[in-house]
Amino acid sequence: MALLQIAEPGQSAKPHQRKLAVGIDLGTTHSLVATVRSGRAETLADSKGTHLLPSVVRYRADELPQVGTKALQHLVDDAANTIMSVKRLMGRGLQDVTRLGEQMPYIFEACESGMPMLRTAAGLKSPVQVSADILRVLAQRGEASLGGDLVGAVITVPAYFDDAQRQATKDAATLSGIQVLRLLNEPTAAAVAYGLDNEQEGTIAVFDLGGGTFDISILRMQKGVFEVLSTGGDSALGGDDFDHAIANWVCDQRNIQNLELAQQRFLLRQARQAKEQLSDTTVTHLTFADWPETSCPADIELTREQLNSLLDPVIAKTLRATKKALRDAGMTIDDINQVVMVGGSTRVLRVQEKVAELFGRPPLTSIDPDRVVALGAARQADVLVGNQTGDEMLLLDVLPLSLGLETMGGLVEKVIDRNTPIPVARAQEFTTYQDGQVAMAIHVLQGERDLVQDCRSLARFELRGIPPMAAGAAKVRVTFQVDADGLLEVSARELTSGVATAVQVKPSYGLSENEIADMIKASWSNVDADRGARSLREQQVEADRLLASITIAMEADGERLLTEDERQVIIKQMETLIVARNGDDHHAIAKQIEILAKATDTFAGRRMDDSIKRALAGKAVDNI
Amino acid sequence: MDLTKDYFSNLGLPCSYQIDLAALADSHRQLQQAHHPDRFAASDEAEQRQAVQTASYLNQAYGVLRSPLKRAIYLLELQGMEPLAPTNTSMPMDFLLQQMQLRERMEELPAAADVEAELEQLADELLVMHKQLQTDFAAAYEAGQLPAAEVVVRKLQFIEKLQQECNDLEGRLLD
Repeated sequence: MALLQIAEPGQSAKPHQRKLAVGIDLGTTHSLVATVRSGRAETLADSKGTHLLPSVVRYRADELPQVGTKALQHLVDDAANTIMSVKRLMGRGLQDVTRLGEQMPYIFEACESGMPMLRTAAGLKSPVQVSADILRVLAQRGEASLGGDLVGAVITVPAYFDDAQRQATKDAATLSGIQVLRLLNEPTAAAVAYGLDNEQEGTIAVFDLGGGTFDISILRMQKGVFEVLSTGGDSALGGDDFDHAIANWVCDQRNIQNLELAQQRFLLRQARQAKEQLSDTTVTHLTFADWPETSCPADIELTREQLNSLLDPVIAKTLRATKKALRDAGMTIDDINQVVMVGGSTRVLRVQEKVAELFGRPPLTSIDPDRVVALGAARQADVLVGNQTGDEMLLLDVLPLSLGLETMGGLVEKVIDRNTPIPVARAQEFTTYQDGQVAMAIHVLQGERDLVQDCRSLARFELRGIPPMAAGAAKVRVTFQVDADGLLEVSARELTSGVATAVQVKPSYGLSENEIADMIKASWSNVDADRGARSLREQQVEADRLLASITIAMEADGERLLTEDERQVIIKQMETLIVARNGDDHHAIAKQIEILAKATDTFAGRRMDDSIKRALAGKAVDNI
Repeated sequence: MDLTKDYFSNLGLPCSYQIDLAALADSHRQLQQAHHPDRFAASDEAEQRQAVQTASYLNQAYGVLRSPLKRAIYLLELQGMEPLAPTNTSMPMDFLLQQMQLRERMEELPAAADVEAELEQLADELLVMHKQLQTDFAAAYEAGQLPAAEVVVRKLQFIEKLQQECNDLEGRLLD
C-alpha cells in the first residue's frame, strides 16, 4: 500500500519526485531538445509530432518572432528578416561576419560592444538574441512535454568552439531564462549516448562529420568516467565539400566554366541528391536541362564507384585529422575499441567504409546521427540535477585550443596547451621590459600559432600600480582558470607589491570560419613559417635592444672616448643593422648584430676602464 | 582536501619515483568523482568555486605524476632543487655528442629511402633510452644522489624533446 505524501504549501518538490532537466543540441541548421524518462533518453516533439526544430527565426514588426518550420517558409520571400545559421555568427565580430560574405544575406550594423547586430523588422537583433529565441522555444517544448518548470539544461557546443563562442552560447541561454547546468562538447555528448546505452568500457573515437565541420574526439570510458584524451578536426570540412566535388566533376565532364549563381545552386542540389541516392543504389543520374552550351546532353550518369573516387580526397582529410588526434592522445588504431558516428554526413556509405577500413572495425551507427548529441546531453542533465544515484557518470573534458599571452615582439607565449584536461588553473610569471615601468598591458589570446596576429584575441586588460623598479625586477604572475564549461577567467598580480587585477574574459566577438580553420590546421601546416616568423621577431627585439644601448653609450661617452674615425665605423654598422632589422631575414639580422657587437668591443672596454678610473679617482691606494 | 599538500599524499600514493600507474588513474578517477564541479551543480557559488579549484588541482597532480619527466622534476622540487633552472646547463660530453648524432639523423631522415622504417627505428631507440633513463633516475633518487638525479632529469628532457620532434615529423611526413 502506498503511503499518502503530504507536502506543505510552498514546500519544494516531493522527495521522490524527479527534477526536470533537458539536454539541448543548438545546431547550425536544426536544434533538438531531449530528456530522460523512465531511464531512457528521448528527444521531445512539438505538438505536431516533429522533433527537429529548424534553427531559423523570422522577425516581424510588433509581433512575436516565428521560430522553426514557420520561419523556414519565409526564407526566400522575407530573406532579410528570416535569420538562419546564426550559430556561425556566435562570438564573432562585425569584421568576421562581413568576411562570411554572400552566405549571410543580412543587413549588419555595428554596436558599441563590437557585436554584429542584424537589422530586422523587429529592430536590431544580436546573434545572442536570435539564439535565445530558438532556445526559448525548445525550453517551452520541454516544459510542455514534462509538465513543469525546468531546473536547468545542458547545452551542447562544437568541441572546437573557443572561449568567445562558448560565452556567447551561455549568454544566449541566460537571456532565454534557461539555467545552464553545463556547456557540453558535442562529440562527448555523443559518446555518452552510446556509452551508457551499451555499457561500454574502453577507448572510443567519435567521428563527427556535419555539413560544414568535422570534429574528432578520442575518449576513454571506465567505471562511468568519460575522459576526453584529445580532440581535433577541421572547422571548414564537411558534407558540403562532397557536393562541391561532385558539381566540379560534372562541370569537368561537360567542359563547362562560369556557371551563374542560380545554376551553381541547382547543380549543387543535384549533386547532394545524387550523393544521397548512391548510398542505396549503385548508379544514378543528374539531370540538368539548363547547360550554357546547348550541345550537352541534359543527363549525366554517376556510378557509386565514380562517386567514391570523388569523395575519397575529402574523406582522406578527415582520416588524417583522425590519425593526428590519435597521436595527440598517445594512442594507436589498435587501442580503439569502438568508433561512433555523428552528424548527417556520416550517412554517406563511403565515409562509413573508409572509417571502418582505418579502424579495422565497422563504426557504430545504431543511434540516429542527428539525435545522438541531444540524447547524450539529456543524460548529462539528468545526472547534474541529481536524478541518478549510486555510481554516477562523470565527464572529464579538455581545452580545445591553446591559451596564451602576448609577449615582446608580438609573440604568443602559451600558458595552457590544447588538450589539457579541464578544469585547469595555470600561472605564469612575466617581468617588466623597461626601467621604472609602472603598468603592464595583458593581452590574452587563443590559438596554436606563434604570432599574435594569427591567434584570436580574447581580451586585453591593464595591470597598473607596479612599483617603479629596474627592468626585469618586477614579477607579474598571470593566472588562467578554465572551468568545466571551457570558460576562462584571468587574474594578474604583481608579486613584490601585491597589486592585483582580475577580469572575466568576456569578449565581444569571436572567430571567423577561416580563422578557426587556420588556427586548427595552422599548427601542422605552418610549423616552418611560424618558426621563421618567431626567429625574425626574436632577432628584431635583440637588434632593438643593442641599438638602444649603443645609442645611449654614444651620447654619453662617444665623443670623449672615441676618435672621429672610430665613431663613424660604429655609426655605419648601426645603420647597416637598422636596414637588416627592417628586412625579413633573421639570419642577416643575427649576423649584423654580431658584427656591431664586435665593432663596439673596444668602446665598451674603454668605458669600463673609464668608469673604474673615475671610481678610483682621488682615492689613496690604501683606501682601495 | 588540503591543496597545499603534495600530490603524492593527496592522491594516496607513496612519495616515490616508481609508482603504480593504474592505481594513480584509479585514485584520480575516484577523487574527481567526489570533487568535480559537476557534483556541485546545485550548490552555492562558493562551493562551486571550491570544486573548480580542487578539480584543477587534481588534473594538475594527475598530469605531473603520470609523466615520467614531470614526476622526476616534481620529486626533485620537493627536495628544494631546481633541475631545470636556466643556469643549470652542464651536461656530460658523451651525452651531448649522442644528442647531436640523433639530431643529424632526424634532419636527414626525410631524404631516406624508407622514411617510415627509419622513423620507426629512431622512435624505438628513443623509447629504449627513455626507459633506461627512468631506471637511472629511480636508482639515483632512491640512493639519495640528488645531483646525479638532476643530470638524469635534464637528459630525460632532451630525449622527450626529440621524441616530440620525431612525433611532429611523423605527422608531417606520413600525412
